[in-house]
Amino acid sequence: MKKVQVFDPALCCSSGVCGTDVDQALVTFSADVDWAQQNGLQIERFNLAQQPMAFADSAVVKGLLERSGEAALPITLVDGEVAFAGRYPTRDDLGRWLGAVASASELPAADPQAAPSGNCCSGGACC
Amino acid sequence: MKFLDQAPRFLFFTGKGGVGKTSIACASALELTRLNKRVLLVSTDPASNVGQVFGIRIGNQITNVAEVPNLSALEIDPQAAAQAYRDRIVGPVRGVLPDAVVKGIEEQLSGACTTEIAAFDEFTALLTDGALTQNFDHIIFDTAPTGHTIRMLQLPGAWSGFLEDGKGDASCLGPLAGLEKQRTQYKAAVDALADPLKTRLILVARAQAATLNEAARTHGELAGIGLSKQYLVINGVFPESETVHDALAQAIFDREQAVLANLPDALRDLPTDQIGLKAFNLVGLAPLRQLLAAAEPAVPTAADVPPGAPPISAPSLASLVEAIAREGHGLVMLMGKGGVGKTTLAAAVAVELATRSLPVHLTTSDPAAHLMETLDGTLEHLTVSRIDPHEVTEHYRAQVLASKGAKLDAAGRAVLEEDLRSPCTEEIAVFQAFSRVIREAGKKFVVMDTAPTGHTLLLLDATGAYHRDVARQMGSSGRHFTTPMMQLQDPRQTKVLIVTLAETTPVLEAANLQTDLRRAGIEPWAWVINNSVAAAAVTSPLLQARAHNELREIAAVATHHASRYALVPLLKDEPIGMQRLQLLSKQGA
Repeated sequence: MKKVQVFDPALCCSSGVCGTDVDQALVTFSADVDWAQQNGLQIERFNLAQQPMAFADSAVVKGLLERSGEAALPITLVDGEVAFAGRYPTRDDLGRWLGAVASASELPAADPQAAPSGNCCSGGACC
Repeated sequence: MKFLDQAPRFLFFTGKGGVGKTSIACASALELTRLNKRVLLVSTDPASNVGQVFGIRIGNQITNVAEVPNLSALEIDPQAAAQAYRDRIVGPVRGVLPDAVVKGIEEQLSGACTTEIAAFDEFTALLTDGALTQNFDHIIFDTAPTGHTIRMLQLPGAWSGFLEDGKGDASCLGPLAGLEKQRTQYKAAVDALADPLKTRLILVARAQAATLNEAARTHGELAGIGLSKQYLVINGVFPESETVHDALAQAIFDREQAVLANLPDALRDLPTDQIGLKAFNLVGLAPLRQLLAAAEPAVPTAADVPPGAPPISAPSLASLVEAIAREGHGLVMLMGKGGVGKTTLAAAVAVELATRSLPVHLTTSDPAAHLMETLDGTLEHLTVSRIDPHEVTEHYRAQVLASKGAKLDAAGRAVLEEDLRSPCTEEIAVFQAFSRVIREAGKKFVVMDTAPTGHTLLLLDATGAYHRDVARQMGSSGRHFTTPMMQLQDPRQTKVLIVTLAETTPVLEAANLQTDLRRAGIEPWAWVINNSVAAAAVTSPLLQARAHNELREIAAVATHHASRYALVPLLKDEPIGMQRLQLLSKQGA
């Protein structure tokens, strides 16, 4: 089983589904993550505002941040290697990594992901 | 006093700002030490004045009160707690991650949310950490004003709930790293709160419908999360013996007694104590010991009162409205703590503008609003509306589910629905309803009676985030745009009136609000001091003494806090209906 790690931008909450305008990319990804986990994919999310050490501890993520700044986020690592930077994986991508559990073609279609429009509620207005 | 009979380990005093929580909490601490108990007095109020009451500096460490054996105190400073929290998160990555990235993290952690969580962390530690508190028989919490406290108390329940649902992912519950490791602590805190042998909640109110209604709401909400053992203390009850002196004293007494005879149902059966209104300032040990000891209030005699000063002369509300009216249109926001009379003053401002034949829309997002009763009639040029937080939140949820959830399958929609149950959703929904209304201010006057402060600030935060979103999207396109935040920051479009009473705590809280507003780039336009005894003609020694005490606060507002201000006197008749509202505006110089 592949190990997927997603490094989110600084979000006010772990899903990012909050803020004055709910970001479609975060809504879709939140649902996709739930779906992938239900299907047995090992997937971890790290929020820059909550767990910055996770970003510093990963040489790959740290290097991307040094080169491209926050624009590199979100970053997705699969088994420690960069799979995506600057956008979230789609349900198809997650399905591919699920591999044996289900094939991507059998999975419900998901919207192509747009790049997230940044912090979901940078004013901290969410709680 | 019933509320101190067989006192359990944890005592919580809660209620609106300015009802006298701190005085009663301090007096209770003194009373328990008199019974040879070891007491820790904890303030979680951002504007704590426990130290001031005892004449010592307290702060973030447990400090012995030298003059009172067995008494210690602690002031949880939310700002300091938040800073420590930020340092804990950001410190290890400073110099490791790029500076711009670190700065982004700090910005995200500078919201009201972080402050609240950090203070809450310290607070749960006191409920659960044996080592910290084992030397004390009683821990008395002089909590922050009601809304804030409710949120703090509700959080552990919500968090445990989220975690127990096996979600493993508590969305939108704030910047809380490593939620799991806090789980035990929050669970223990909730258990302690719900155990009547350990915890007693004392609702403090005044003999005013608004504070009693708020106490009834708090009662319901806290009983709902398991805090069932509750007592009621009605503070500052006006003594009958004073009514012989003047008509205003008689009117206050009658008004209060009518309110007391008509307590909200939820409060009727609670064990209740009344504490008489005092003429003296409750600062220092002697007056505090007197507060609970005397069954009958100590009423001053004429000899105790400084030589009778005439009612002070200050600008009237109408004089402020005169200046506002000149603009022809704009947004007028009344802000301040609950219980200071924002609704009444908003109605008075709206009526005053409408009688000048200016088009006015008066609106509120305060769940406790009683605009219609206050206006008690209609007026040409005046329209009235109310943003119902519950209603707009439902509408917002449905809307997001229909738009952003359109492409999701059933499981995905369930996840989104769960996410939308987060505490932020209501704030956002109210904000959106609110920004629809303020757009009207380009053509007419919009007078807003805003909800209590914490809520309002969250709205402003939301406004700021929205502004940055729009600015980023529109900035490059060269198109013209105005966000609600820009409108709030423009003094020609928006005038913020800060409402307060001429008492120490409300003035302090109003000053804190002003600081917060300035940080958001909003400069309050004026202050309104409401219900002033000093502005009324009184002969009752008790009222004269109180009028005298007000002078210092009024001077602080006039010379130090406000760039312009108005003083509204305490009136004999409640300002209900168009005529009395107009009368209220005209009072003063």
